Amino acid sequence: MNIDDFLAMDPGCDRDEIVDLRSLDYVSNYDDHLMCAICHCPYIRPVRLQCDHVFCQKCLNTAITTFDTDRDEFKCPTCRTPTRGVYLTVPRFLINMCDDIRVKCPFEVQGCKEIVPRGHIQSHVDKYCGHRLMDCPDVFCRKKTRKKDLSAENKCMHELHRCLRCDAEIMEQDYQHAKELCPGLKTTCPDCEATVFRKALREHIDACPEAIHCCAASKYGCPIKVKRVELAVHEQTCPLITIGPYFEAQNSRLDSLELTIRHLQQRNEIFEDGLANIRSNLVESSCVISGRNPDRPAESGSQGSPSNSSQTVNEQFDSANNFSSNATTYLLALHESLREEVGQLSHAITDLDSRASMAIMNECLRLKEDMAHTNAAVGSIRMQVQWLMNPRIHQSQRTGVRTNGGNNGNETRAGQLGSSVAGPSHAAGPSPGFFQPRRLSDSGREGTKL
Amino acid sequence: MFAGKRLSKELLKMKEHLPPGISIAKSENLEEWQMDIRVLDENPLYQNQVFRLKFTFGSKYPIEPPEVQFIELPSTSETPRSIPIHPHIYSNGIICLDLLSSAGWSPVQTVESVCMSIQSMLTANTRDERPPGDSEFVSYNRRRPRDINFFYDDDNV
Repeated sequence: MNIDDFLAMDPGCDRDEIVDLRSLDYVSNYDDHLMCAICHCPYIRPVRLQCDHVFCQKCLNTAITTFDTDRDEFKCPTCRTPTRGVYLTVPRFLINMCDDIRVKCPFEVQGCKEIVPRGHIQSHVDKYCGHRLMDCPDVFCRKKTRKKDLSAENKCMHELHRCLRCDAEIMEQDYQHAKELCPGLKTTCPDCEATVFRKALREHIDACPEAIHCCAASKYGCPIKVKRVELAVHEQTCPLITIGPYFEAQNSRLDSLELTIRHLQQRNEIFEDGLANIRSNLVESSCVISGRNPDRPAESGSQGSPSNSSQTVNEQFDSANNFSSNATTYLLALHESLREEVGQLSHAITDLDSRASMAIMNECLRLKEDMAHTNAAVGSIRMQVQWLMNPRIHQSQRTGVRTNGGNNGNETRAGQLGSSVAGPSHAAGPSPGFFQPRRLSDSGREGTKL
Repeated sequence: MFAGKRLSKELLKMKEHLPPGISIAKSENLEEWQMDIRVLDENPLYQNQVFRLKFTFGSKYPIEPPEVQFIELPSTSETPRSIPIHPHIYSNGIICLDLLSSAGWSPVQTVESVCMSIQSMLTANTRDERPPGDSEFVSYNRRRPRDINFFYDDDNV
């Protein structure tokens, strides 16, 4: 079938139908694949395009008629394939599945509780639904009546009647209803058999002496239920009622205690948070201190670092002041870390001390050795000087003897003087044959040199 | 006649499930809805920004397209919204997208699918610019978006 034939078909096949299937209330969830992409309802009278996409007949019809350009160029709304043919046959199971979806009767508001498959809704409404609204048989009445309320005589049910008891105006169709509910009717109290007006029934029940009531202490566990007249007697003897005030007091105490506990829990949480905070601070600071340790003992200029660390420690201390309960622990830790520092410092000092004394000892030994050498040298020099002085002493003693003996002595003495000016080695030269002892002294001098 | 039923069905479905980055901002009546969309990837042009789309439905929806445009909310409001910068989006919020024209529209489109199309249009964009002739268009245009004949000449963005 081509598009024009399709359009020529009566699009409103459902014109005479009362039920608009699109506005029904779908009870069961239906699969998206059963849903017309245009109206998003389960397919209603589905038709198929050449490209195998299925739409409701009505939806496709509207889509084609509102398509502005040439109808021959109409494209499938889903896949945009140009479409020349429309097929009215779709697989039977598709129609069956769509018709099987459960819907509520459209006259739900009127009181119909039926839920039927969609395929049956039309016949339900046509034949079975008593809540379907029908036009009033009276041609002048514009109102509608539920099907089940239609009277056999085709009488208008909308005429107003006056209620015999309560003076309200009611319609014929509501008459039955009113018979049961008219507030002017009398009724009997279920407890005391007294007859009261319907509208006064509630007040009566509240005051009826025969009505059964619970004991006032039922919330504390009194199981007794008696008529109102006997209740007063019971309440005088009921132990639970006498204890009642005590229970109340206990309850309120419990409540306030719970409140306090909750407060305390909150405070406790806050304190625990604070404690954890301090702990993490301590761990950090101890890390900093141990990080500084290795370079401290070596040089004496590390005096700055302890003061720094004590400063940070002080800051931590300040922050710790907020949590006074933890101050002792904190101070102890502080004390411990300071003691550790002091220990390290004293260790460094002893180390330095021992080094210094060792150095001094070494120096002393060296000096002693030097001194011994010098002493030895001085001794040898003294010996040499004595050796040198010895011949002179001997000579002066001998010349003293010779001047007494002859003139030769003067001459040699002059020669001696001249040689002493020129130098000892020359002095020995001019007269070797004369001075035997001097030769001895010469040889002795050479021995000391060696 | 159609529009109300179809829209209430769409709304019901969207309240159950929506694709990421798309949310309903306003849907009190069946004539105008507002949707918030957000680009999902790391596109630096739209990062951490949410944009507000306004849908206006005619009585013939979904046979005829809804009017869709971005709207601006002042930065003082609770939910400030700007107009995204895009070579096909004018600074007054009008979107040049063939899907939204009567020719490009198809009744199978839904509010959700339109939002997703616009979302992907933003995601794919790398150009930090407005359409050519933006200021002129914005100051002279008094027509409604559906009456404007755009030339959909650029298939790249």
